[in-house]
Amino acid sequence: MRRLFLAVVAVLTLSSCGYNDFQRLDEGVKAAWSEVINNYQRRADLIPNLVATVQGAADFEKSTLVELTNARASVSSIKATPELVNDPDAFAKFQAAQSQMTSALSRLLAVAENYPTLTATREFGELRAELAGAENRITVARGRYIKAVEAYNVLARQFPSNLTAMVFGYQAKANFTVENEKAIAAPPKVDFSKPAAK
Amino acid sequence: MRFLLAACLALAGLLGAARADVAIPPLAARVTDLTGTLSAQQKSELESRLAAFEAKRGSQIAVLLLPTTKPEEIEQFSIRLAEAWKVGRKGVDDGVVVVVAKDDRRVRIEVGYGLEGVIPDAVAKRVIEERITPRFREGDYFGGIRDGVDQLVRLAEGEKLPAPAARASPRESDPVASLFDYAVPALFFIVIAGGVLKLVLGRFLGSVATGALLGLAAFLLFNMIAAAVAAVMGFLFTFANTGAGRGGGWSSSGGSSSSGSFGGGGGSFGGGGASGRW
Repeated sequence: MRRLFLAVVAVLTLSSCGYNDFQRLDEGVKAAWSEVINNYQRRADLIPNLVATVQGAADFEKSTLVELTNARASVSSIKATPELVNDPDAFAKFQAAQSQMTSALSRLLAVAENYPTLTATREFGELRAELAGAENRITVARGRYIKAVEAYNVLARQFPSNLTAMVFGYQAKANFTVENEKAIAAPPKVDFSKPAAK
Repeated sequence: MRFLLAACLALAGLLGAARADVAIPPLAARVTDLTGTLSAQQKSELESRLAAFEAKRGSQIAVLLLPTTKPEEIEQFSIRLAEAWKVGRKGVDDGVVVVVAKDDRRVRIEVGYGLEGVIPDAVAKRVIEERITPRFREGDYFGGIRDGVDQLVRLAEGEKLPAPAARASPRESDPVASLFDYAVPALFFIVIAGGVLKLVLGRFLGSVATGALLGLAAFLLFNMIAAAVAAVMGFLFTFANTGAGRGGGWSSSGGSSSSGSFGGGGGSFGGGGASGRW
């Protein structure tokens, strides 16, 4: 009996009920998520410029442009709010829409390589640099969000803070899945066998 | 047997070396050259330019030359580096780090949040393509870095930044400060509730009750250790508090450390900037 009591005391001493920790980590997750949405929005805002620049190039392949415009439309249709972190389904939809945009973008940039007169323009060069910067920012923001959510979820699952979580209704928050990453990480095939457009 | 053990260790070492990320070098000076490319005179010339810029504007620029960032891409390594070095002033985030991976033939300019207005990604890319890589292709590493840094300084001077502080050393954030946040409410509780409980229950029992209540609150907010500490402190202070004076002042002192010749000011980075290759 005494040993059981000591064991319980040991467990409780080593871990924490952590109500304050929940508050702090929850705010951290919210802040990290806002940063992620900001950076995705930044990328989306570059698209109209890109489409306008590319359309100016003589007979640019229309299908890639249409694909990109559609991807942007589907991204804008999803309301990216701070509440997305608590809703795994909406979160997954958001992530899927953004991945679609990423593929459409990389396809467009790959196709643009066939049009040297376009890629040589200063406008296009700047846009490409801005897009690369936006993608890097997204990567950094996602990495920080994943860390923040990890800390929060660990606390929500560990004993005894999971008891506090149950009492106050804190659930594990949504996180980015890795599966889609494999598909979009594959670089688009650049085919040099086709003759370049004049 | 010993041979097998040695072979295993050697293999483990090789594997470890192959997969380990490049370690972040310590930030000791504005220009860190791990490849031995720059001569001492060239380094000191760059240092003095960057130091003059910092004295004038307060913003910090740091340069790192290293052989390779593999297995990471230079973007991944640079953000890791920037987060560790924390170049630029805290809150203003006006730092820039130039990373040159010589054997990879990659260069990256990592721009802090505060300078993203005057050095947006497209501009950083132009600095790389117009000033840095042409010289690097000729093998003139010092010239490329010098021209790049000069251009970055010129750009950063266009930004409205707060004036440089009068050589204040960066304050370390006090990890115990958060605990001291609770000292004032706890003190109030001890004096007021403790006084009432002592009247009602007598000195000893009143102190015990105050200690127990404080301990319970600490247990709910923190953990058992904090609860035990709070209970004991609550008991002692209530017991010793003879009513009139406040028991000792709580002073939370922030630690300020001077960090040698050059140290990051706490600036943060968001992944902005540009990379290039030559």
